[in-house]
Amino acid sequence: MKKLIAGAILLGVSTMAFAQPGCGVGAMIWKGQSGAAPHILAATTNATFGNQTFGMTTGTLGCNTNESVQSLALYMDNNFDKIARDMSRGNGENLDTMAVLLGVEQADREAFRSLLQNNFATIVPSADTTSGEAVDSIVALMLQDEVLSKYVAA
Amino acid sequence: MARLLSTCLRWPLMLPLLRPGLLAPGLLFATHCFAESPIQPLHTDPVWLTLGHYQQAMTGGYTSQADDPDFFLSPAGKHSPKDELDATLRAIQADGEGDSHARCQFPARAAWLQQQFQLELPPMACPAFDQWTATLNAEHVTLVFAASYLNSPSSMFGHTFLRLDPPQDDASTNLLLANTISYAADAAAHDNELLFAYKGIFGGYPGVTSVEPYYEKIRLYSDIEHRDLWEYRLNLRPAEVARLLAHTWEIRNRNFDYYFFDENCAYRLLALIDAARPGTDLIGEVSTHAIPSDTVRWVVAKDLVAEVHYRPSAATSVSYALGQLPVAQQRLAVALARGALSVNAPDVAALEPADKARLFDATYDYVRYQSAAKKWPREHAAPVSHDLLVARSQISATTATSEPTVPAVRDDQGHNTFRASVAAGRRADRNFTQLTLRPAYHDLLDPPAGYRHGAELEFLRVDARYYTDNQSLELEQLTGVAIRSLSTRNAFFQPLSWQVGFGGRRTDTGSKRVLAPYLEGGVGGSWALGSNTQAFALATVDAEIDDDLNKGYDLGPGADLGLVFQHHTVSALAGVKRKAWLVDNLQRQDQLYVHTNWHLSRAVSAFAAFTREHHFDRYHTLWHVGLHVYF
Repeated sequence: MKKLIAGAILLGVSTMAFAQPGCGVGAMIWKGQSGAAPHILAATTNATFGNQTFGMTTGTLGCNTNESVQSLALYMDNNFDKIARDMSRGNGENLDTMAVLLGVEQADREAFRSLLQNNFATIVPSADTTSGEAVDSIVALMLQDEVLSKYVAA
Repeated sequence: MARLLSTCLRWPLMLPLLRPGLLAPGLLFATHCFAESPIQPLHTDPVWLTLGHYQQAMTGGYTSQADDPDFFLSPAGKHSPKDELDATLRAIQADGEGDSHARCQFPARAAWLQQQFQLELPPMACPAFDQWTATLNAEHVTLVFAASYLNSPSSMFGHTFLRLDPPQDDASTNLLLANTISYAADAAAHDNELLFAYKGIFGGYPGVTSVEPYYEKIRLYSDIEHRDLWEYRLNLRPAEVARLLAHTWEIRNRNFDYYFFDENCAYRLLALIDAARPGTDLIGEVSTHAIPSDTVRWVVAKDLVAEVHYRPSAATSVSYALGQLPVAQQRLAVALARGALSVNAPDVAALEPADKARLFDATYDYVRYQSAAKKWPREHAAPVSHDLLVARSQISATTATSEPTVPAVRDDQGHNTFRASVAAGRRADRNFTQLTLRPAYHDLLDPPAGYRHGAELEFLRVDARYYTDNQSLELEQLTGVAIRSLSTRNAFFQPLSWQVGFGGRRTDTGSKRVLAPYLEGGVGGSWALGSNTQAFALATVDAEIDDDLNKGYDLGPGADLGLVFQHHTVSALAGVKRKAWLVDNLQRQDQLYVHTNWHLSRAVSAFAAFTREHHFDRYHTLWHVGLHVYF
C-alpha cells in the first residue's frame, strides 16, 4: 500500500471509472496518467447516507448508452449524500452540476429541479438506495416528462 | 494502509532544517539577476530557466529541480541549460510528427524557442496534447487555498492547488466539474515514520503533478477535513493560460523530488505561474520554506489576483446554520439528529413551513457532519438522514438557507508569520532584556484576524535573555514545537482541547536554573463565554530531563485553567497552573499568569506579561513588557 502526501489525490475507484475508454466526461483527462494512477488509492468517506457503490440495477448504463447519463451516474456515485440533500431542497450547486451533465438547458432547469424535489421519495425510496438505482429512477421520471425526456433519450 | 495527508508540511517533521541548500537562502534563486544583462546568452534567459526548473547555485552552476531523465532532451540537461537548449532546438526542428515529437512533448519550450529564433516551422498536429487542452477547456486559472481548520493546528500551513475554470457563460459546464492541478509527494507505505520524515526533509520521495476534478477536492478538503476554501481567480490572459497548460503538459507525470519545506505542493504551482507569465518570479520569493499561506500572499502582492471567492467548508456551514436557529429549534435539531424525535412530532409539525425547512436542512447537514467527523454509525445516521430528506422534499419552500458570512479578513491578510520581539523585564530581583525570534507561526495572543480562534502553532522559537546585573546572556527557552488547540464545546459539537510541545527551557532545581529538555502535553475542554472569549480546563503532564535533577528526570502531572480573549485590538490570556513534580523533589509548582497583547497594527503589537509563581517554598514574580514585530 502507498501513502500519499500533500496533494491527497482522490482518484478513487469510482473516479477511475472515468478512465474507461469512451465512457463519459473526463475520459481523456485521466488517460495517460498511468504514471500517477497506480500510486493512488481511494479515500472513502464514511457515507452518511445512501449506498455509494456503483451499482447499476438495470444495466442500461453500459458504455454504449447515453453518455450524459453515464456522467451523471459517475458524479452521483461520488457525491450522493450532497446530491440527495440538494434534491430534497430543490436547489443547490449539485443540482446545477447534474443539469450540466445531462445537458439540461437553462430554460428547463426549474422543471428539472422541481421534478427531483417533488419525486424525492420515488428517487430515493429507502436509506439503502444505491446511487445507481437513484439514477435509474431519475431517468425513468425524466422519460415520462414532456419537457425533460429529450435529455435522457438513448 | 494508505495515508492521505493534505497539508504540505507536517508538523512532526519540522525537525532541524539540515538539508544542504536550505542553509543558503537567497543563493539558490538568483535567476532574476540576469534579466537585465544586455548580452545575455539565451540559455540563461529567465524564461528558459523557468521552463527547465533550473536554479543557480552559489558557484554559478545550474541544476534543474526535475528528477526525471525524460524531462530532458540532452543527457547533460539536468545541469546544463545550454546543452538542453541546443538539444531542444534541434529536436523541434527534426523530421517527424505526432505525439512523440519534441514539439508535442514540450509545447511551451517549442513555442518560446520558435519565437526567439523566428523559426519557420511547419504546422504540426499534436492529437494527444490538443485533445487534453480541449478537454480541460480552461478560460481562467484559479489558485485555491485550503485554509487551516479548527482543532487541527497542523493544518495551519494550508494547502494550495490550481483550478482550471471553464468559460463561465457556457451552460454546458460548471465549476464543480472544473479540473484542478496539484503537485503531491508519493511515499511508499513500507517506509516507517522515521524514513518518512528523513526522506521528506532530505528528499527521496517523488513528486507528481496530477489533474482531477474540483468536486473531488471539495469532497476532501471541505467535507472530510472541514477546511474552508479560498478561491483566488488569477488575472492571467488567454495566452498566459495557454502557456500554463503547455508547461503543465511538459511536467505532467515527470518526477520532481518532493521536499516538505521548500519544494512542496505550493512551490511547484508557483513555478507554473512563473512559466505562464514570464518575469513574475514567484520562485524568487522562496527562501528556506514555502508555507502555502505565504505563497498566497506573494501571489496577491504580485497583482496576480482578479477576484477572491470564499467557499465555506461543510463544518463552517453547519455551525452557521445551527447558530441561526432559535434556541428552541436547536433543541429540536439535537433531538432529531439523535433519533429521539420523529420528523412528524407535534413540536416539529407546529412550525411554519419555512422554519421547518431550515430545521431539516440544518439537522441533515449536522448528521452528515457527525457521520464524517465523529463516525456516527451508518445504522443510526442513514435512516435519520432519509427521514429528514423525505420530509424536507415535501416542503416546497426553496428559500436558500443563508450562507455563512465571508470572513472580514482572509487568511492571507492576517499577520505575517515570522515574529521578532524585544522586551525588558524583571525576574525575582534581576533585570533583563529579552530577544525572541519565532520563524512560524501564530500563538493565542497574536492578532487573531485571518487565523482560527483558539489555535496556536509555534516552531523553532528562541528566547534569549541578557541579565544586566552580571551581564550574562542566557538561553531562556528553545521551543521545538508548541501546539495548542482550544475548540469550544456546545450542544452540537464536543471537541477535545489539547496541547503538545517539546524543546528546552530553564527549570528550577531548587538551587539553580538549568536548561533542560522538556516534553509537555495536555487535554481537556474549552467553552465559549461570548464571541471573543473562551474558558479552558486542561489536565497536563510535563517531563524534564537534566543531570542536575537527582534522578536525571522529573515528571509532573498538573492542571491549567484559564481564560482567553481574542479581539482585533487586544488579546489576553490569564489563568492558574499547577504542576506536582513526582520524581525528583516532590515539589508543587503553582503559577498565576496574565498575558496581554495590544495590536497596534497588522505588523506591530505591544505586550505585557506577569507571572507569580510558588515553587520550592518561595514566591517569584516575573514580568516583562515589549514589542512584537511581524514580517
